[in-house]
Amino acid sequence: MSKKEITKREGEIKPSLVPPILSAILSAILPGLGQALARDWRRGLTMFLGFSTSFGLLVWRFQSAARRDVGFIDIFKKAIRIEPILIWLTIATIAFWIWTIADAYLTAKRPPKKAVGIFLVMGIVFASLGWQIGQVDLVKLITEINDAERAVNHVMWPWSRAVTRPVEYVEPEAYIQVPCTDTPFAQPEVPEGEPYLISDPTCGDLAVLEGERGTELTLTGGNFIPGEQVTIKWYDPLKVSFTHRQDGEFMQFPVDENGSFEVKITMPYRLVPPSASEEAQKWTVFAQQVIATGSLEPSEELKLVVEKMIETIFIGMMATAFGIILALPVSFLAARNLMSASPVTLAIYYLVRTILNLVRSIEPVIWAIIFVIIVGLGPFAGILALTIHSIAALGKLYSESIESIDSGPIEAIQATGANWIQTVMFAVVPQIIPPFVSFTIYRWDINIRMSTVVGLVGGGGIGYLLIQWINKTDFRAAGIAVWFIAVTVAILDYISAEIRERYV
Amino acid sequence: MLEIRNLTKIYDDGTRALNNVSFSVEDGDFLVVIGLSGSGKSTLLRCINRLINPTEGEILWNGVDLAKLEGEDLRNTRRKIGMIFQHFNLVKRSSVMNNVLSGRLGYTPSWKSVLGQFSAKDKQKAWDSLERLNIKDQALKRADELSGGQQQRVGIARALMQEPEMILADEPVASLDPVLAHSILQYLEKLNQEDDMTIICSLHYLDLVQRYATKVIGLKDGEIVYQGSRKDIRAMTDREFKDIYGEEAVRVGGLEGDLSAGGDQS
Ligand SMILES: Nc1ncnc2c1ncn2[C@@H]1O[C@H](COP(=O)(O)OP(=O)(O)OP(=O)(O)O)[C@@H](O)[C@H]1O
Ligand SMILES: [Mg+2]
Repeated sequence: MSKKEITKREGEIKPSLVPPILSAILSAILPGLGQALARDWRRGLTMFLGFSTSFGLLVWRFQSAARRDVGFIDIFKKAIRIEPILIWLTIATIAFWIWTIADAYLTAKRPPKKAVGIFLVMGIVFASLGWQIGQVDLVKLITEINDAERAVNHVMWPWSRAVTRPVEYVEPEAYIQVPCTDTPFAQPEVPEGEPYLISDPTCGDLAVLEGERGTELTLTGGNFIPGEQVTIKWYDPLKVSFTHRQDGEFMQFPVDENGSFEVKITMPYRLVPPSASEEAQKWTVFAQQVIATGSLEPSEELKLVVEKMIETIFIGMMATAFGIILALPVSFLAARNLMSASPVTLAIYYLVRTILNLVRSIEPVIWAIIFVIIVGLGPFAGILALTIHSIAALGKLYSESIESIDSGPIEAIQATGANWIQTVMFAVVPQIIPPFVSFTIYRWDINIRMSTVVGLVGGGGIGYLLIQWINKTDFRAAGIAVWFIAVTVAILDYISAEIRERYV
Repeated sequence: MLEIRNLTKIYDDGTRALNNVSFSVEDGDFLVVIGLSGSGKSTLLRCINRLINPTEGEILWNGVDLAKLEGEDLRNTRRKIGMIFQHFNLVKRSSVMNNVLSGRLGYTPSWKSVLGQFSAKDKQKAWDSLERLNIKDQALKRADELSGGQQQRVGIARALMQEPEMILADEPVASLDPVLAHSILQYLEKLNQEDDMTIICSLHYLDLVQRYATKVIGLKDGEIVYQGSRKDIRAMTDREFKDIYGEEAVRVGGLEGDLSAGGDQS
């Protein structure tokens, strides 16, 4: 049976218009022309489009690689040097060209049955072009993966940032006179049992930019909490505090087991208002220990994440609610079976359908950017963005389920003598409620996931928080947000799947 | 008595599905309409209860021209005409009970039915109908959980709720196997004989026609090409049946004659 079919089909094919050799020559000049004249115009067209696209892309890559060069040879040489892969692309394209010539010859001689080869060759050429255009660099991906280690570790296990303890500061001070006068500050007495800090000398000069180093001070401290870190800090005469840097590094070190230390520091560089430099001024150096007291409690970041997570869920829910309300009427206008009655309604149908498709093809993130411009940063912009996308998506899904209702039950209910409203309630509504519910829950699920994304561009919720922390490279805080998003999405996913399964 | 006079139906696309069809049905008849696929059987049945509006002609039922009825009058007349469909046309996701109750919609005020309220009497009636068709124990299942034969019995129960004087059945057994076909038609026969309902039913199988019909009309390309009484049909041979009906005629199996050659062709 199948054999018969094949011979029958071969018998039906008319002979080529041109001899095989001519067909090959024609395809060498214009790929595909030979095949077309061999009466396989589809194959010819595929060849032509495939070859001209890949050839065009190749030329474009060469030109963009060697932007400033002129002349064919120069461009070629330069491009090859910058992007060695272009050699292979050139070879592949030439192979493609030769192959179309051979194929033209064979097509004209005896029509081939299948065109697997053509797709294989085109696939290879396009894949390698795509590799080059997409700047795929697997080596980089592997060798530089370590750069992400710190960030990834922090994101994966951010919990040290999720809790804090209330802290107390231990910060005894010493006063420094700048510059030294005839009457320097007296050395204070060393107190019993209380933390203290003594500087020697008690006066000095600040460092000068690209000039002299500041005066060297020897700081001696005692009665600190043993083993804990201490940080050296300053107050300038205006009581502005800053952390001391010795050779560019913050000065932070643990005190010894007796709770004392001795370090040498050089006085810092600081811009001082000129008027102030006439008299001697009082600078303050202090050694600060931060002591955690009391029990663990949730950190500010954790509280913020929880708050914004809730905000995010509500953004998704509000958008879904508004989306349903507005998508319902729209879906009736977009249902062909309801709108094909007259040319006017049909025109409305096409208009609504087109608008829905347009709106849907614009990502919620883009809508969010637009609405941030209109209503400003915050959750409202996010709600608007998701609402408009939901209307379009739900409108389409709803209208499709309206289109696919079975007319049988409608007929049957009408035949019982039911009126219009009864027919709708008993034959139409039961048919559309399950798909409506299913699509709505699905959309709710998407909206909650999406509300994170619209947050990234300022649409409120946790996304906004996350992008701020990422920009500050505060990966632990970002990690908390990521964890919350992941868990929330997983839970909602599960819930929506459950509801859909139960209900539909 | 139902009297069809010069009934013509031309669809929007110009198809002439019925052409000048006239016949009459006495009260208590079991009229079977036969004819090839596309001959206009469904169109004829749907014109009678005005699911389709006829282009021309009269449908006189007890002296009233159904073709001219509109709105309330039409709905009140429809209540008296039950309809049974090849594909059952149940609301699949609703319960069997709700499907049966919907047969009562013509007698229920809109606001009540929108709230899903049916009177206790109607509910009792629904149980009785289900009982009569032997599917009482399925009442609370979803309609699409039932087998084909059970679904068709729900369809009949729904029609019974209308307390109809006439039942239109459009190929009620075409989606069922032969044994079920007999059982469904026996229910219709019972309604015909015990409750005096007029039955108009389209069928494809000669042996079913011979077994149940008291009167037959044959349609071909929208025109009546055969009218016969019970006696004529019983005497009919396969050859004659095929002449009217076309070579597609099939026998379910059982009564008489031999159509195995014809059955093989399709
Ligand atoms: N809605 C419609 N619009 C246009 N033409 C239709 C429509 N419904 C039916 N027809 C045509 O009318 C003719 C009669 O159709 P009808 O459905 O009445 O035939 P039938 O005898 O019931 O066939 P079957 O045995 O296949 O159900 C057919 O030619 C059909 O194509
Ligand atoms: Mg039909």
